Amino acid sequence: MKRTVDVSIPVGPIHPCWKEPARVKCETKGEFVLSAEVELGYMKKGIERIMRGRPWQEVMFLAERVCGICSVIHNMVFIEALEGISSIPVPERAALLRVIVNELDRMQSHILANFSYCYTIEHETLAMYLLDVREKVMDELERITGARVTCAYIVPGGVRFDLRHEDALRLRANLAAIEDEIIRYTGMFENGPMIALRSKRIGILTKEDAREACAVGPTARASGMPESDRRLYHPTYQKLGFVPVSREEGDNFARIMMRFQEILQSIALIRRCLDTLPEGPVRGGGIPGAGEIAYSGEAPRGELSYFIRTDAAGRIVDIAIQTPSIMNIEACCHYMLKGVASLADVPSTFVSSDPCIACTER
Amino acid sequence: MSGYLYEKDLTSMKYDILTSTRHDRMVREIAADIGIPQIKLRRYIMERFDMLLMENLPARYEEGKRQMAYASETERDLRAHLYSRAIPLVTEDEMDRIVTRVKELMESGMPREEAVLAGKNLFRGSILK
Repeated sequence: MKRTVDVSIPVGPIHPCWKEPARVKCETKGEFVLSAEVELGYMKKGIERIMRGRPWQEVMFLAERVCGICSVIHNMVFIEALEGISSIPVPERAALLRVIVNELDRMQSHILANFSYCYTIEHETLAMYLLDVREKVMDELERITGARVTCAYIVPGGVRFDLRHEDALRLRANLAAIEDEIIRYTGMFENGPMIALRSKRIGILTKEDAREACAVGPTARASGMPESDRRLYHPTYQKLGFVPVSREEGDNFARIMMRFQEILQSIALIRRCLDTLPEGPVRGGGIPGAGEIAYSGEAPRGELSYFIRTDAAGRIVDIAIQTPSIMNIEACCHYMLKGVASLADVPSTFVSSDPCIACTER
Repeated sequence: MSGYLYEKDLTSMKYDILTSTRHDRMVREIAADIGIPQIKLRRYIMERFDMLLMENLPARYEEGKRQMAYASETERDLRAHLYSRAIPLVTEDEMDRIVTRVKELMESGMPREEAVLAGKNLFRGSILK
């Protein structure tokens, strides 16, 4: 937007607290932030263009490379979209294993997001504790799928590997340890007076603004929009009796607490999957064919949508990916940052929306 | 020759965003609805919106269309919420002026369709000016 302003302070593209480069130009009046706009283009991959014309067997690996933090959900949504096009059934055991891996991925993503926030507000002790507990989750992910990121675990008609009995026992034991630590760290965050000073009533996103900016995921649910959770509409999650959690405050504090709550919710979901995991095959087979579909799933940051058109040989004719960070960063920069009382709160507010520039630019 | 160290020309990147599958579909729909050439609408958007708002346009467009169900009949006909809040092509004040003008025309006895058409012409004029 071309405008002449009194003071325009750029934050980024390179900032010590940000995981990826983006430039937020803040129009300020003293310390008060009047508005902000964002410049992207520092890490454009053009991955949608690379995908076009390639067979699905290649594109499934490209899809999970859109984002290194939430690669499992990109894999899951892409494959479930192909299964939707060709009506490929998924064995029940495989569907539950997908949920287990997806929830582990959500846990590590949420922990990383909360680590970033604590690091940004200079609570390095809690930040490092969180990074430590994240490793336990990553270990579980690696034990089940064989890789920490870009696991390529989900394939049409099932999953790549079964969960061994001894691995399931170890997963249960580690979940108990992770739960204890997360409860302890949630208490530290919830009751920390310095954390409250930097987080409560800062970067407020009202429910109306969240709806207008199409905010999704924990960002939307922290502003009182539980219905934004796509897991509500997923058949496996419905069978598990999934109920989303939400908060009303809409500030930085609520967004971080929301993620802590969702980590505990994910642990409960994984336990429920393990309790109800039936015996049976994990790969039913099936070959994707021609068709067109718009399919959405709940990524750690919110609704992730794939719009795919394939030909009879399963090649990707056209594809468009709508990642949750697009909506959340927009909500952050055009609504949360507007009216922030101090420039020092800009990085923390930005980080509280869990921005993923790799997803945004694709 | 002097130049700004950090400012760069974003035109080509903005154009790339606007010509992606879903953005292109949206631009075509809006241009057809308003009655202006697509190229002019693209230019208008590129000059006024930052890159992030542009990336988010298809989602906002779909949500804006859903929100139209809750608007009054006149606002729905003019797609007031869609074009001033969801896709901020004009400011809310400007759209309010257009809606008020259409209501005045209807109160003065002009048939509804003609008044709405006049409102759409005002809206188109404010984009093309």
